[in-house]
Amino acid sequence: MTDQPQQMSAVKLGLAVAWPAFWTGAPIKIALALLLLAMGVHPWESTGLALLILFSIPVDIWAVGLSARTVLVERLSVEPPASLGVTLWWQGAVLYATYGSLACFLERQTIAGSKAVAAAILDMEQLKGIPIAERISIELTMWGSVSAVVLLALTLGGLYLFGKLVQRQARAGTPMAASFEARVHQWDLMRVPADQPLMLTVVAGVGVTMVLLLWAAMPVTTPHPHELYQKNEKAEPALPPTEALEKAEDVLSQAEASVQALEEKAKKEKKGKGKSPAPDKKPAVKEKKA
Amino acid sequence: MSSQPNVLEKVFAFVDERVGLKTLQAKMLNEPVPGGSRWAYVFGSCLLFIFIMQAVTGILLMFYYVPSADHAYASTQYIIHEVDYGWFLLSYHFWGSSAMVVMVFAHMSQVFLWGAYKKPREMIWLVGLALFGIVMAFGFTGYLLPWDQRAYWATTVGVEIMDKTPIVGDFMARFLKGGATPGQMTLSRFFVIHVMILPATLMGLAGLHIFLFRKAGPAGPFRGTPNELKAKTDYFFPRQIWKDMVAMGAVFATICSLAFIEPVVLLEEATPDPGEYHPEPEWYFLFLFQLLRLKIFSGEFGQFLGAIAIPGAFMALLAALPFIDRSPERNIFKRPVALVGWLIVMIGILIFTVSAIINREFLD
Repeated sequence: MTDQPQQMSAVKLGLAVAWPAFWTGAPIKIALALLLLAMGVHPWESTGLALLILFSIPVDIWAVGLSARTVLVERLSVEPPASLGVTLWWQGAVLYATYGSLACFLERQTIAGSKAVAAAILDMEQLKGIPIAERISIELTMWGSVSAVVLLALTLGGLYLFGKLVQRQARAGTPMAASFEARVHQWDLMRVPADQPLMLTVVAGVGVTMVLLLWAAMPVTTPHPHELYQKNEKAEPALPPTEALEKAEDVLSQAEASVQALEEKAKKEKKGKGKSPAPDKKPAVKEKKA
Repeated sequence: MSSQPNVLEKVFAFVDERVGLKTLQAKMLNEPVPGGSRWAYVFGSCLLFIFIMQAVTGILLMFYYVPSADHAYASTQYIIHEVDYGWFLLSYHFWGSSAMVVMVFAHMSQVFLWGAYKKPREMIWLVGLALFGIVMAFGFTGYLLPWDQRAYWATTVGVEIMDKTPIVGDFMARFLKGGATPGQMTLSRFFVIHVMILPATLMGLAGLHIFLFRKAGPAGPFRGTPNELKAKTDYFFPRQIWKDMVAMGAVFATICSLAFIEPVVLLEEATPDPGEYHPEPEWYFLFLFQLLRLKIFSGEFGQFLGAIAIPGAFMALLAALPFIDRSPERNIFKRPVALVGWLIVMIGILIFTVSAIINREFLD
């Protein structure tokens, strides 16, 4: 692994920098996107998208710089030039704006064209008997293969151009005479932070802050309620104890008064109807048949 | 400065004397990683992290969930609408299961492409395959628990497919359903399997998997001269642990984002009448579901072939792989059959999954 810049193809070089750079920056961008989502801002729409792009710029500069330095030191044996990350980032941004737009346009046209061709082929009289499930898979395979090949070619083209940018930076650097082991060791030491406890404290602090922000911003109840679900917004208020006792006392006093009134009434009736027959000698009332 | 140990150091020394903490710590963190740490090695740790998070969110959900046919749907709706952050916990648990399936595929692909299943790591591969089956079973049994139309009919279709297995199929289908149609017995059995049997089995097998991995040691990269590998060889701590932690953070953030973008919304409560609902399994079984729609797999024998025989033969082939492929060559670019085979399987799964999604338009 003591390749010189010219010994490593531009495509390989582009991939060796772009792939790790993407994954280095992705976790930080995902964390921001998550915070935006928790706050109800969609990261793929106006304000959210603008914020995400703005935030991504320093992250990408750092990630591209880190990946490119690793490749230059370890694989190309080159001392990286100053401001490697910034240079590769703006050059990559211009490349993405021009070549990326063109590639997106070409890919979209390819998909539309290959879909139309695949549908036209399968609409032919001889092929009309193909069942729907088979037709879907055949059609998908037909236009998917063409689109995938074009996408692969466009990606390789993009990597080639980006690799050329990295090669230019590699030529601008100074060659290193150290062995592979020494270079790996040197690059390892360069990446170890000078104040490790401070670094760990900062990382832990950022992590805790992010989690707190997430929980603070997150809606407590679902932002997507079910159309048929009746949310019990107004629960019956509990009866205060004093009120319950007063109510019970009222009921009891009313009952007491009613009983007294009945007893007095019974006494009066007893006095007034001294000749009436005894209750046990009353004529039996005929029971109603059910 | 005093050289007397503080309280914390005394407690540590006390425990260390009895448990051997320092030895354990050295054993766990000082594992040499041939060729140094890599992002390609993070999938196993991420799987463990997702499982722990699934266990935590699952326990929290169980505080409110009632596993009865009368209350399962209502209690799930209650979790979504009334419990503080309940909607998020449920959605995280839902997307966590999908993340686990994706991560299992990524982990198995990495092991396959790196040739890390070869001697002396055959047993790690076999236990890994069993873990893959358990992850799939977690998805299948958990899908029924909300007891809405989607859950009910996906389970009905799944159990019907299982019924086609020769000899044991009928018993397994009757055992899982516990009756002629899915009902209380089915829910109880799926619940017990989901929250007790599968977690216990997974914990045991995952422990065995990690033990076997530590016994055999990491396989390392498939390229590079011994000198280059030696120059880059590093301990598990700190670089690989750092990479694992970053990957776990990214996985956590991705699952949370999915929970925000597409939270769980239930369909109507389960009934034995599908109405206008077209039964469909969870997305990671869609390719198999679409495969069974092909004319070649129609009829009793065709369904058996597509649902049982071919997937069964594929799993048997995977299990036999370390014993068939005995060449020590690990470089995937020098194993064309393995590379082409992997590409065919992945592209096949992708095509049939997308086909199943397109097929939805033709169902109404």
